[in-house]
Amino acid sequence: MEDTLTYEEIKKDIDNLKQEKTSQLALVWSRFKRNKLALIGGIIVLIMVLIAIFAPVLAPHDPYRTAPLRRLEAPSFEHPLGTDAMGRDMLSRLIYGARVELSIGILIILFEGTIGITLGLLAGYFGGWVDSVIMRLVDILRSFPVIILAMAIAGVLGQGVYNVVIALGIVGWTTFARMVRSKILSIKESDYVEAARSIGESTPSIIIRYILPNAVSTAIIMVCIMMPTALIASATLSFLGLGVQPPIASWGSIISAGRDYLLQAPWISTTAGLFIMFTVLGFNFIGDGLRDAFDPTADRS
Amino acid sequence: MNKKFLLNRFGRTLLTLVGVSIIAFMILHLAPGDPARIMLGQFATEENIEIFREQHHLNEPLPVQYGAWITGVMQGNFGYSIRYNRPVHELIWTRMWPTLTLTVSALVLAVILGFTLGILAAIKRNSWLDYITTIQAMFWISIPAFWLGILFLYFFGLRLRWFPIGGMAGLASLVLPVFALGLREEAWFARPMRSEMLEVLNQAYIRSARARGIKERVIITKHALRNALIPLVTMIALRLPWIIGGSVVIEVVFAWGGMGSLLVNSVLARDFPVVQAILLLISFAVVMANLFADLLYSVIDPRIRLED
Repeated sequence: MEDTLTYEEIKKDIDNLKQEKTSQLALVWSRFKRNKLALIGGIIVLIMVLIAIFAPVLAPHDPYRTAPLRRLEAPSFEHPLGTDAMGRDMLSRLIYGARVELSIGILIILFEGTIGITLGLLAGYFGGWVDSVIMRLVDILRSFPVIILAMAIAGVLGQGVYNVVIALGIVGWTTFARMVRSKILSIKESDYVEAARSIGESTPSIIIRYILPNAVSTAIIMVCIMMPTALIASATLSFLGLGVQPPIASWGSIISAGRDYLLQAPWISTTAGLFIMFTVLGFNFIGDGLRDAFDPTADRS
Repeated sequence: MNKKFLLNRFGRTLLTLVGVSIIAFMILHLAPGDPARIMLGQFATEENIEIFREQHHLNEPLPVQYGAWITGVMQGNFGYSIRYNRPVHELIWTRMWPTLTLTVSALVLAVILGFTLGILAAIKRNSWLDYITTIQAMFWISIPAFWLGILFLYFFGLRLRWFPIGGMAGLASLVLPVFALGLREEAWFARPMRSEMLEVLNQAYIRSARARGIKERVIITKHALRNALIPLVTMIALRLPWIIGGSVVIEVVFAWGGMGSLLVNSVLARDFPVVQAILLLISFAVVMANLFADLLYSVIDPRIRLED
């Protein structure tokens, strides 16, 4: 170690190291673009997001308008995906369902992400007993199957959109915390953080200026990895009657309602499930592509 | 295995078990309002609620309540179901075997299928088989269990009438639930198995075996498979909570009279003693499976020294 380096020189080094990071991001992006499945996933998710945003424009009918005389109608020109047991237009309900389902998914990710990233950051940065306490809590929560604990919590809190978000958030933050923690541990050892520390930057400043930006890539992957679980779990809660309640058009509760009319109107449950499947598949493709792009050593083709 | 590792591991397990029991207990107290009123419903009389409170120690401070509950649990007494007015352990005992049958069968199916596909995909790397294995795995993990169950029920039960659509009448009624649960899980074994096998095939001792002119078949069955199998233990332990979670939903779809459907009905009916007991038992099983996997892992692979 030479102590002839001036403050400015070290600052410049840090900047250079950060520069390297951005070019690395460009590399990641070019790798991601070449992944065909990831591209397909991106298109699927984009379509679903557009459907959710423009639901009022796209839906041919009012998703809540009942028509008792037109119940359980087979797909026709007027009702491309048929009608449900109350004569409501299925296509419109599924389009509005995208809105409900995606917003719940985003809320869950935001909620569990906030808890998980904060606790993961604390555990990774401070280590010691802080780390032990948080990681034991993670161990404990992960001993419960996600859907079972979420079910019990949602059952206590009562039905409704926000209770689904709370229940799945309380259960789901552990994955975020673990990923963020291990990422922090590796960043903490990195040159630029060590350099920043050596010129006497304070802990909060190091966390905000160097660690958080570098954990962003992890966070992006995490969102795509967590979205499928959030979507499937929230749909499952709605299906079990513990989540979003009718008449709100959620894919999970539509499948549940269609169960009673499987023989007369199989399109109700099947189409709603297809919407869930394709949305989740889209996120899985993206997540997979991102993981490969960020970690080229992982073996693939 | 050294003593320190064992002590550490057992200590952590014990701590986790205590934590898990506290969470299972606290479920009831998470709700805003009076637990007695929540369980008995809004039409219960003040007098009945007071009696109920006395019976369930609800007037005592929380730590005392927990103490009373956990002492009972350790003596096999999980309290009384409010809905059935029967001891909880009796209810669970009769519901446990159908759930075990379902989950174990599904797990066996998933492991066999996933293992075979993963190994084949690794051996025939970059072939159509490899791609299909990857793609089908992506599809399975994107399908909600309850929807797959409903699809099976519709096609193979209602349309083709190959299997009963629900209930627990003999082996035939086991087929659809097991496949609905097991096929999805297969994906979670196929992909890790593939990369595990690829890693093993890249090891020096495999290359040297090839250099010595040993037949590829012998290399794979005698040398590679054995080492690729080791992580399977951990994989199973990791997937266990998800399989149990999936079984709950599948039980509801197929009217399978196991712990899962009991749990859902108890949650909906706010029969909390049953909910607490099932939560505790399931998480207990998961914790023990993890402990077992860790110990077994370090026994079968002497290279591994598990730290922390």
